[in-house]
Amino acid sequence: MRIDTCYFCSSKMYPGHGMHFVRNDCKVFKFCRSKCMKAFKKKKNPRKVRWTKAYRKIVGKELSVDPAFEFEKRRNTPIKYDREFWQKSLEAIKRIEEIKNKRQETFIMQRLRKGRELEQKRDIHEVQRDMSLIKSPATGLREKLMLEQEVIEEIHESDNEMELIPEEN
Amino acid sequence: MPGPYKKKKHHTGDTFYKRKYNTKNRKKDLDEIEEDLNEKNSEKLVKQEYDPDKPGEGQFYCIYCARYFIDEFTLNTHFKTKAHKKRLKNLEIESYTIGESERAAGFGSYILPKQRIDS
Repeated sequence: MRIDTCYFCSSKMYPGHGMHFVRNDCKVFKFCRSKCMKAFKKKKNPRKVRWTKAYRKIVGKELSVDPAFEFEKRRNTPIKYDREFWQKSLEAIKRIEEIKNKRQETFIMQRLRKGRELEQKRDIHEVQRDMSLIKSPATGLREKLMLEQEVIEEIHESDNEMELIPEEN
Repeated sequence: MPGPYKKKKHHTGDTFYKRKYNTKNRKKDLDEIEEDLNEKNSEKLVKQEYDPDKPGEGQFYCIYCARYFIDEFTLNTHFKTKAHKKRLKNLEIESYTIGESERAAGFGSYILPKQRIDS
């Protein structure tokens, strides 16, 4: 069973699905659904359309360069059948798939972590800017005034004492 | 019916879109034009033989837009148009290929498209 890739969105194409378009120069373009076919007919650039794999890789939403991708590739050189090699590669495929998925997930998580950091920074900035909404600038003013008055009174009292002292002498 | 009757005929359906995107009316793709821009092909396209079936007998051709013009004046005015300038900008980067769609799917690492070196 051959699983093709869509020309436009690079998704998997199982047998019995999609359409082929053969251009004048014999190049075969495969499309997974009519949506992709229509976009191709309208000459849309897959790199600029947001829902394609090419866009996601170009913008850095997904892991694009990794040695784990190098195993699965179109190789135009035939390999002679070897049972042992066949069995080993079958086992290896499972392991490679596991590693690949893990790396892709960690890449996405790291990407999202950066967004979280920026969000926190933005939140702190917002709170500092709009502090007046959380705490009224008038709070504590009355207490401050009272304190000041008390201090003044104390000073006056001490002044009176000072004045009294020399009279006694 | 009271009031003036409807004089304007609004078109219905999507026939004109269908005609535009019909394979019969399909113009050259960017990767085809990129091949045309190679020195070997471009010389042939710029200096074409007289062909009475083509506009301007095939003498005034814009390689970037893959279009024939009737004379030199229209060709020169075309060079100043927005469509032509936009095409030039689109051709600055390597065009999207079938190989790239496969690499995007995970068959090999996806390398960013390079700037095209002008011939």
